[in-house]
Formats: sequence, C-alpha cells, structure tokens
Amino acid sequence: MTLLAVDQLEMRFGDRLIQTGISFKIEKGTIFAVMGGSGCGKSTLLKHLVGLLPPASGRVTYQGVDYWASDDAQRAKLRAGFGMLFQSAALWSSMTILENVCLPLEQHTTLDAAARERRAREALEWVALAEFAHFFPADLSGGMKKRAGLARAIAAQPPLLFLDEPSAGLDPISSKRLDDLVLEIRERTGAAVVFVSHELPSLFAIADDGIFFDADSKHPIAHGSPSALRDTAEHPTVRAFLRREEPPAPQTAAGGTSNNAQSTPP
Amino acid sequence: MQLAALLPIRPVTYLGQVLIAAASGAAGRWTFRAKDLGQVVADCSARAVPIVTVVNVLVGAILAFVGAVQLIKFGAGIYVADGVAIAVAREMAAIITAVVMAGRTGAAFAAEIATMQANEEVDALEVLGLDAIDFLVVPRVFAMLTMMPLLFIYAVITGLFGGMVVASGMLNVSTAAYIDRVADALSWAHLGLGLAKAFVFGALIGLVGCYCGLYAKRNAAGVGVATTSAVVVAIVGIIVLDAVFAVCANALDI
Repeated sequence: MTLLAVDQLEMRFGDRLIQTGISFKIEKGTIFAVMGGSGCGKSTLLKHLVGLLPPASGRVTYQGVDYWASDDAQRAKLRAGFGMLFQSAALWSSMTILENVCLPLEQHTTLDAAARERRAREALEWVALAEFAHFFPADLSGGMKKRAGLARAIAAQPPLLFLDEPSAGLDPISSKRLDDLVLEIRERTGAAVVFVSHELPSLFAIADDGIFFDADSKHPIAHGSPSALRDTAEHPTVRAFLRREEPPAPQTAAGGTSNNAQSTPP
Repeated sequence: MQLAALLPIRPVTYLGQVLIAAASGAAGRWTFRAKDLGQVVADCSARAVPIVTVVNVLVGAILAFVGAVQLIKFGAGIYVADGVAIAVAREMAAIITAVVMAGRTGAAFAAEIATMQANEEVDALEVLGLDAIDFLVVPRVFAMLTMMPLLFIYAVITGLFGGMVVASGMLNVSTAAYIDRVADALSWAHLGLGLAKAFVFGALIGLVGCYCGLYAKRNAAGVGVATTSAVVVAIVGIIVLDAVFAVCANALDI
C-alpha cells in the first residue's frame, strides 16, 4: 500500500532552484532514506512533505490525497497521520517531557487525560526516558532530547514518521540505539519512516530504500537502498558519498576537470 | 503605484489572523492550554506588580514635587492633589505602566517566540496541526488586554500614593485633605480615558511582542533583533496612540 507518493516535485528558495524532478513512492513499513551532501535540500524536502513549506511545483499525495491541493480541514486530517522528529528535537521548552508527548495525543486522539498520560508514559518507556517524564527539555542531554522527540513523534502511533537527522550529533552507541529504536517502531507499529541522514552506519543499518540528491546537478541522481547503491551505483558522487571516498572533481565549462585529479565518468 | 504595494501586507494579515483566532476562541474553539494562559496571565499581572509599584509611586511623587514647587509660589499648594490626580489618571499611569510592560513583558513575548522559531518549536506545533497564532499569540494578547486595565487601576492608586507622600512631606497637606481634593478632582471621564488607553496599549504590546517573535530570523541575532524591535515599536506606538487619544479626548471634550 502506497502511503506517500511524490511526483515531479520542484524545490526553490525564491528564484534559486534547490532540486527538481523528485519522484518516489513509500509503501507501508518502508524505511526510506533521503541522502545527499550538505545543503542539497534534504531537510527542505521534509518541510514540503509535512506541510511546512509549499513546493514550487509537483505533487505530494498521501494515500491518493494531494496534500497541497487540499483545504485546511483535509490537511489537518492528513497531518494527524504524521509524526516528526526535528533535527534539533524541537521539544517545547516550556513543557515537561511528559507534556510534550501528551500534546500530540491531545490533538489527534479522543483519549481522556488519564489514558493520554498512560500512552505518553508508554512511549517514554519505549525510548528509555520514563524516569525523566517531569524533566524540562533544557535538563536533558542531546541524545535524550532526540529520544524524547521520537517518543513525541510516535505517541499517537502515526502511520508515517519523518525523522530529520535523527543520529546527528550523537555518539556511536546512542546513534546505534536510536537506529534500533526506529527498527523496533517499524516492527511494532508497521509505520513507514522517511529519514534524512548523513550517518552512513545508520543509512546502511536501517534504510530499505532511498533517494540521493545532487547539489550540483540539482536533481536526484540515484534511487535505491543505501547498501545497494554503495555496491552498484554508477554515479561517482553517490559511490564517493556512500564509500567515503574522495569526491569526483567538478566538471569545468570546457569539459575538463577543475583540478588535476582523475575523474570517473558517470 | 498600486495601492496594494503600499499596504504592509504581513502585519495586516497577522492582525486579521489574530482577530479570526480570537473570535474562534471566543466561540469556545481555543487550542491553547489553560496552564499556559495561567502562566502568561501571572507574567502580565502579579509578577509585574513590584516594578509597576516602584515606577508609579515615583512618577506620582515627581508630579507632586514639580507641581508643589510652582503652586507654593501662589499659595495654592493644596491643589497639588488635583494636578497629580488628573495627570496620573489621564496620562501617566497608563503610559508609564505600558512602557514598563513593553520593556518587560512585550520583550519577553518576542524573545520567547523568536527562540521557539529558532529551535523549530513553532514548526513542531504546525506539524501537529496547532496554529502558532492560536496557540502562542492569542493567550498572550488576551492576557495583556485583560491585565493592563487592572494594572492601570493599581498604578493610579500607587501614583496617587506617591503624590500624597510628597504633598504631606513638602506642603504639610493632611492625608484627609489630599484624599478629599483627589476625590473632587477625579471624574469618571478621567479614569475612563486612562482605562481605555490601558486596554489599547495592552493590545498593542501583546500584538507587537508576538509579531516580532513570530517573524524573527531563525538565529540568535534574530532573537536579539526581535526583542529590541518589540520594545522600540511598542513604545513608539504607545506615544503615537496617546497623541491620538489626546486629539480624540479634546474633540469629545473629555
């Protein structure tokens, strides 16, 4: 079942083109990675997908419903199916961790206060933060904030999760724990996950499918699972990124390379 | 040039959104949390009382002192109470309290919301389907609207008290005589005018503080700029609106 389909999406900041020709589909239970170098538009894509920023053109459809062509009421219904972990976790600083996790339940479910708290505590237990329920975000470490953000994203058990750089800034053990959590969430809830990441171990460990953006050509240059792309991708930028190799030298207008390094034709 | 190009589209849109959200809230469809509203109301009232007290007592005392110096020359020292009462009720209590609240609470609104923007907290609300105007702006503007008139009444009392201290200390005016003159000089029109100003200034401070926060740049510098702008715009706005009130009061013979 296709949960999310993106069709010929174009992203711009004013007149500046970020990426064009983005198309992909995400099935139920898929973990989909958005890959590419810094500044190529990965996080911007998430903003288009979750309704924070309208795309320049193209369609984003959730189970056949075009998000950006919908009215406010329809968009609100669609948003009830999202959970999002922001790069900075974006926990509401004036609320405790428990209140942070309760708010999506208050907004998207008909549970009473006691049931909401029970569900929120379950989510916090899942991410091993049960004993920090009454802490404020400022009192938590970076990794704990990420886990609290994940608990908030999964509390209402949405069918679709968006994770923006979930392991960025975490030590390898915390990063591995977060990857395991994402896999466990998929296992237990069947949710599809769209995640943006630079972390190669995370990409190879959890992603089933993905798309690779190129900042130079301004369009996706590869589709597929990160491990398959690492082994078989023909494009030198994709190979260099996923194998942590020296990137190919950029092409000059005259057709040569801008330095003396050997370039591999795509 | 087209008329539309001259309009400040964003502030006008913002004002419209706040009015729609307020109407929706009045119809019982508010989305903000009662706990958040309680905290903002406390910030706009009880926590502001110490500074409002100090400033207004001193302003009342200064007015009385300036008046006393002149009135003593004419042997009309007792009328210092009239001058303090009218100046405090019509002008000073509302303006001084508004300036204090702009620097204290308006700046805090701007800094808090701008920081939330920088930390993607506002985005997180929007993804959840919570409108930032409903969730963040409406409770703050509502709190300022409702608490400013109360602070004004309190400021009038403290201003009169400051005047009384000077009147009794410098002019040997008895407390009873001072209160008697104040009661004689103060009319409901003076108090009503001051109260109307307090209400309007409250709305202005809340709206400007939240606007500057909501449209701040998403970085540390943006938070600083938003805070400064909130204070400057609110204080200038207060003075401009006060001038408008003065013209209207004169036209209406209040």
